[in-house]
Amino acid sequence: MLKHYASISLSLLGVSSLLVGQGVGSSPAFQPAPAPVAQAGGSAPTSGIFESNTFLESANRAFDPTSDSMNFEEGSFVWKGRSFNLTEQRAFRARFERFLLASPSSEEQEYALLMADIMERLSVENTNSDEAMFETWELLFRASRFDSDGGNSTIVANQVFNAWRIRKESRGISMSQRELEQLRVTQQEIVANREFTLRRIRERRLLQTSASNRDESETKSDKEAMPSEDAFRVLDLAETEAKIIALESQTALNGLQAKIQFQSQIVSFFMQRRFQHALVLSSFYQLIFKGSQQQLEVGKDELSSFFPNTDLTFTVDTMAFVSREAINDINKGVDAVNTAYAEDRSLIALERLQETFFLGEYSPELNLIPTQQRRHLLDLYRGMIEAGDLAEAKDYNGVAELVEEISKLASDFPKNRILSSLETAKSISDMAVFAASQYRNLGDIDKAREELQNAIEVWPSNPAIREFQQETTKMATVGTQGVQAFDDLISRQDKRAIFERRLELGFALSSDEARLPIFTEVVEQVARIDLLVKQAEEMIKQGNDYAAWELLVEAAKVDQDDAPMNRARAELAPQVADFVLYLNRAERQTESGHYAGALAAYLAAQDVYPASRLCREGIEATSNALMGVLKNEAPVAE
Amino acid sequence: MSLFQSLKNSHTRLQVFAGTLLCVAALTFSSCSGGEFSNLETLPAQQFLEKPIDFLGNTYSVRAQIDSQIKWEKGVGRILAVLPEGSSKRLPVFVSEVVGDNIHIGQRFEMRVRIQEGGLVYVEALRKY
Repeated sequence: MLKHYASISLSLLGVSSLLVGQGVGSSPAFQPAPAPVAQAGGSAPTSGIFESNTFLESANRAFDPTSDSMNFEEGSFVWKGRSFNLTEQRAFRARFERFLLASPSSEEQEYALLMADIMERLSVENTNSDEAMFETWELLFRASRFDSDGGNSTIVANQVFNAWRIRKESRGISMSQRELEQLRVTQQEIVANREFTLRRIRERRLLQTSASNRDESETKSDKEAMPSEDAFRVLDLAETEAKIIALESQTALNGLQAKIQFQSQIVSFFMQRRFQHALVLSSFYQLIFKGSQQQLEVGKDELSSFFPNTDLTFTVDTMAFVSREAINDINKGVDAVNTAYAEDRSLIALERLQETFFLGEYSPELNLIPTQQRRHLLDLYRGMIEAGDLAEAKDYNGVAELVEEISKLASDFPKNRILSSLETAKSISDMAVFAASQYRNLGDIDKAREELQNAIEVWPSNPAIREFQQETTKMATVGTQGVQAFDDLISRQDKRAIFERRLELGFALSSDEARLPIFTEVVEQVARIDLLVKQAEEMIKQGNDYAAWELLVEAAKVDQDDAPMNRARAELAPQVADFVLYLNRAERQTESGHYAGALAAYLAAQDVYPASRLCREGIEATSNALMGVLKNEAPVAE
Repeated sequence: MSLFQSLKNSHTRLQVFAGTLLCVAALTFSSCSGGEFSNLETLPAQQFLEKPIDFLGNTYSVRAQIDSQIKWEKGVGRILAVLPEGSSKRLPVFVSEVVGDNIHIGQRFEMRVRIQEGGLVYVEALRKY
């Protein structure tokens, strides 16, 4: 038996470490336990499956500051049914905390005004002459000088400039093309006139000469002369036409290239959630390219993921519309955050801020959130992240402390729900430890280990687990000296000491067939005395001193030398002196064989306490004895 | 005259003798019935309870009410718990079969008792009152 407890003690640490992360594999150190040891007044615990995940589920919901639209497991953020790549949670957290730590500056306000001005200028409501567009284009370079812009306005400006350059090149090409077309007309005329002239000369000559031979020789000489000159003229014409086709192709190619570059950049801005720049670039596109060129040629696959189950034709207008919608949503989100914060709903403010931040991370509108508010939400955010981590690690004490702090920061935080779940989890763990102790004391090592596993799974840092470990270790150590200690105590008849050291002695004597029955009897005796003394105390509380005395008398029959019992009797005796007097007298008379006197004393005692069990039994016993004596003796009647 | 006087004296003597006889008879009757209890001391129940051994061999009169029958043995008798007058504590008494016949709970008896070995209150005679 000792080795079992030693194995519990030694393997506890291993079990603890194994159980935190995974289910426990069976340790070879554990072996089936032999017969149970002393009952030790303990009841067999009930084993069961504890719902250890209840708290975690609750905590995960409560401590997750991210909103429902964020899914870090899939790395996506859903906005109006459209998914954005959320990247890694840690990276997002870093950017979000950086935002909460930053303070909006006047420079950022200037930048916001400038971007608003640019978008206003590009509006179709305003004059969109080349000069006005050029002035707007120049503003982009001013915008790019702000840190908030991140140089993206320069990219917009470059795209516009590139489009203009290509358009200019196309104009040059158009001029060349027109010249070539004029040349071609001339050449065509030359070729056509040349053939006409030659035909007329030949017809005139045919009229002037009659000799057929001569005609044939002349015709032959004409035919030999015509191909060389005619061919050159045709060749020139073909060359001109080829140049025209080449110029046409180049023009088309340049136009397509500019359009694709423009569209690509718009899609890129949109995907990066730089909605303002996407909107500015879209506006420039609409002004630079004609209406027939509005359909998107690139980024269709990317956009399809935002608009699933649709056969829409994506255009630059679509991009502008969605970008504008996003900006509007950001504005509304900022308003919601500020309103929730003003109404002391910090938790809601934090959730909405995260959504708004992710959507409008690069939008100047977020600067409308004041610095002090950001700091407050940062504290709340950090507290919730930390509480979530502690809950994951099942450090319930740490969680409880943080919950108090969080509830001070956010009055809408569900503090009571968390604390309630926490207490439940703690209780479950404590119950499992208690059950493990009971099973250990009964010698059922397998069940003790099972209960301990439950306790560790629910609350690994439960102090009761460590106490259990220390207690078990102590038992294993002391058990080796238990036999000697028991012999000493039993020789002194110190039953109370044996009872108080019953656990350690139980281990030591568990396989000692000679001492174990004695040990068991002693423990049961003292346990019964304790029980009777407790019952007597309860009777005294109820004002029933005589019943209490009878219980103590019963206890004294078990062991009349038990100190706590005698102390209780001494304290109670004055209150029941009359009753005790007759009882003692009855006992003495009985011992002397004076049954009639004993019977008289019992009757007198019963008159004091009619419900007395001792009196009833004493009367029965002494009357039987007395009648037996009288039966054997002759009547003395005269 | 002397005869008359002689007869008169003899009649007087007869009357005296008859009266004497009547007195003797009355005394004899009283001593044989109620008179045998009235001469006895009443058992001091409280003192007896405290130390019965001091009363061994004595005979007393006890006027008491039957409280309960503790034990009955055929051919032997019965042990009764009685409540003596003037006492709050009951006493056990033994009534042998030859002394008592029908005894009911609640009845009052005047008893002549003898304290025997072991403090036994032995009822030698009893009568209702």
